[in-house]
Amino acid sequence: MIGYLFLIPLLAGLLVFRLYGFGYNIWLSFMNAGAFGAPKFTGLDNYRELLSDSQLGIAIINTFKFAAISVPGVVLVSLLLATLMQYRFRGESAFRAIIFLPAVCLPTAIILVFGWMFQTQYGLVNAAIQAIGAAPVSWFGSANGVTVVVSLLVVYLSFSVPTIVLYAGMQDISPDLYEAATLDGAGPLARFFNIMLPLLTPSLFFVILTTTIGTLKLFDVVYLLLPPVDQSVSMNYGLTLVYYYFYLAFIESGQRGYAAAVSLFLLVLILAVSVILLRVQRRFVHYGEDG
Amino acid sequence: MQHQYRVGWWTYALVIATGLVILAPFAWMVATGVMTTGQTLQVPPSIIPAPTTLAGTEEVFDRIPFLTLLLNTILVSTGRAIFTLVVCSMAAYALAIIKVPGSQVILILILALLMVPGDIFIVPNFAIIASFRMTDTLVALFLPSVFDVFGVFLLYQFFRGVPRELVEAARMDGASHLRILTTIVVPVARSGVVSLAILTVLSEWKDLLWPIVVNRSLDKLTLGPGLALLRGTYTTDWNVVMAAGVMAALPMIVIFLILQKQFIASFARSGLK
Repeated sequence: MIGYLFLIPLLAGLLVFRLYGFGYNIWLSFMNAGAFGAPKFTGLDNYRELLSDSQLGIAIINTFKFAAISVPGVVLVSLLLATLMQYRFRGESAFRAIIFLPAVCLPTAIILVFGWMFQTQYGLVNAAIQAIGAAPVSWFGSANGVTVVVSLLVVYLSFSVPTIVLYAGMQDISPDLYEAATLDGAGPLARFFNIMLPLLTPSLFFVILTTTIGTLKLFDVVYLLLPPVDQSVSMNYGLTLVYYYFYLAFIESGQRGYAAAVSLFLLVLILAVSVILLRVQRRFVHYGEDG
Repeated sequence: MQHQYRVGWWTYALVIATGLVILAPFAWMVATGVMTTGQTLQVPPSIIPAPTTLAGTEEVFDRIPFLTLLLNTILVSTGRAIFTLVVCSMAAYALAIIKVPGSQVILILILALLMVPGDIFIVPNFAIIASFRMTDTLVALFLPSVFDVFGVFLLYQFFRGVPRELVEAARMDGASHLRILTTIVVPVARSGVVSLAILTVLSEWKDLLWPIVVNRSLDKLTLGPGLALLRGTYTTDWNVVMAAGVMAALPMIVIFLILQKQFIASFARSGLK
């Protein structure tokens, strides 16, 4: 009996903040609810609005665009860094510490320094571009500019954990396999593509899944780069699903019911993407004999 | 497998190049932080600040209650870590050591909840916190997050590795479950407990969405959202923002450098699923 007492704090908390919260979200999604006053039942109106809302369409496209660019970016950067971590060289511990700096630094500080580096008039990046004779870019004034800065930031903020996951995966590969392949005449590239990459697929899959889900929930980067003052910019070029949800619920606060519908849509989307990735995994991921 | 990797000049070239790219934003943050506002408005920008000044740093304290924000961040992340460890270790003990009837069902529920992103709960959780009349309090910042299914799952896996004989011997001696948890299971599984503590503190440290939703007054915010307020609506004094960024980033970087091994092990374990 005492065992259940140990579970009470967790289950009570989950009951309030997850189960009740989830039910509340579903209930709210059928309501017209603002920040004040009692919600009014509106049936499927919020769900109908999901289908016709062009802002939501922009948010979906942006979210997928950022994910499509930054997930491969994270995979490539972390593969490179994990490979470098395998070597024994002088300054190796300093290099390790540097790899994890972006994961322990306050994200707000990193996002703001990127905003400063890409600032149009006085920023470092445009200065470098002008130094080589090209025209400065209005990074936050165009869809492509925002996509570049946001994707770079997502990669920068999220490569550290994938690097250690891939590094651990590489450590698990038996050196005998490489030796046998080398004896058979396989060069470094053949060893990489025929041995390491196939045996690394479980770790790679994990990295792709978590990074994709993380990017589908992107908020802090776009919120801090494109604060909701200049709506033409923040509400278009950098609008993500979570940003839109937050905006509907807490900035233009007349629309909490619709925000709830958007959040449920986001949940379905994330679960669908996870299921699709899990299916792809079954086809491509190589789990050794004992895996 | 290290022996078959020969370190050539190009290894050093790649290590130095990637290392510098990662460090560049930090270097620019520090450099800008010791500039005057005038220096930040030079075209082309001067890379090396000369003369250096702490005017930007002083300005930070005039514009935001930096020390309050720092103290709040420390209090909230410590509070969240303590409550998370208590809730999760008790639950993991019931599931992994006592193995209460129905453990399997609860574990499946926990695994299912791992798939559900916490961000979709900000509207209901805000309503719940508001109905408790707890908005604009420090406790509100961490209360919904302490019932952490990832933490339960992480500790469950560590607690399962605790030798049964140890627990049973203590039971024979008449020790209570609470005593076994605190004096045997937690010490034996301490690397898992430390990892959960580190990951929890980091997660609170980095949180932005929930703090700006639940707390509106500046003196009840953490550093992440607090720093964002330094950015102006039309023009921004970047030397002030960067000075604040350096000061806000520094504490966690110092802690990381001291506990580097534990941090890296924790990151590796956050991939334990």
